[in-house]
Amino acid sequence: MTSVTSDDTGVGAASWERAAREFAAWRAGDPAGLDRLVRLLTPMLWHLVRAYGLDREAAEDVVQSTWLALVRNVDSVRDPQAVLRWTTTTARREAWRTAKAGRREDVAEPQTLDAALPPVGGPDATVLAEGTARTLWRHVAELPERCRRLLRVIAFEDRPDYASLSTELGIAVGSIGPTRGRCLDKLRGLLAADPEWSDRRD
Amino acid sequence: MTDDQMVLRAVHDMWESLDPVPVDLADRVLFTLQLEDLEFELMRLQEALAPMGARGAETASTVTFSAESLTVMVTVSDSGPHHRRIDGWIAPGGALRVELRTPRGVHETHADADGRFAFAEVPSGLVQIMIHPTNGATVPLHRPVVTPPVQL
Repeated sequence: MTSVTSDDTGVGAASWERAAREFAAWRAGDPAGLDRLVRLLTPMLWHLVRAYGLDREAAEDVVQSTWLALVRNVDSVRDPQAVLRWTTTTARREAWRTAKAGRREDVAEPQTLDAALPPVGGPDATVLAEGTARTLWRHVAELPERCRRLLRVIAFEDRPDYASLSTELGIAVGSIGPTRGRCLDKLRGLLAADPEWSDRRD
Repeated sequence: MTDDQMVLRAVHDMWESLDPVPVDLADRVLFTLQLEDLEFELMRLQEALAPMGARGAETASTVTFSAESLTVMVTVSDSGPHHRRIDGWIAPGGALRVELRTPRGVHETHADADGRFAFAEVPSGLVQIMIHPTNGATVPLHRPVVTPPVQL
């Protein structure tokens, strides 16, 4: 399988394979395949959509309409391997359009996030401790908006389609790679200079 | 993992921790996808005066949904320990056929000429309102409009 390579976060490639499998199962007549596909990809879609600064209600609407679009246009997804790319690209485009239309933008901003956040702390061991997450967030919040969005997208989507990202983020296709590098460098610098962060990580 | 991958992994985990996906979002998506006929317009949640699904307080909550051609304002209040009452108001007003989908079946009613309708006893859980094109109604609809499912 040459089209699937290792990803940045360690989650993308596995999702890609599973999404293809569930989609194929659903298309072959197993309705539970769609159920599993929706449960698998909805969290990823949520974070991609929220990267565009939509509030929670608007983000939910975009996730709903993305799935509806998939079921309505299922014949346009010829290859099961393409289903993850199809849904993430559709969700990001719709999120971008919705944000551009000025629909309740940017609740997930540094100054409002703290107030809007529910208490955290699920049983999931992979989720950062709340204190660590908040320390990291303080530094992410210092990055330019373009960096914050780009990093959130690539933290959740393995190898996003650069052509659509380019339109959505207003970055030339050729500049996405370098921008991503600069954003990561900047964040690393901020983290390295924060004793609170190194204490936690050591 | 490279340095970049570690930072991205931390960013990934940070977002999962600070901005978690609503726990029932996938359920609500699937509830909509169970509709047999997908030829409808999905309404957008326009305004929630009190969060739906926030249980406990006995106050009513009001939510407005909008489609291209109409909006519907829905007020949910308690009606006994396990049931809710739904009062709806479609604007522009018209005697449209209204369906309420629940996991246990579909309730149906007609709005009055002013667009008002009600479902007196709705079990708590997911519900979704569907407004249909209706003969004789003053509001012309080309296809049904459907709200996103909400938890009562």
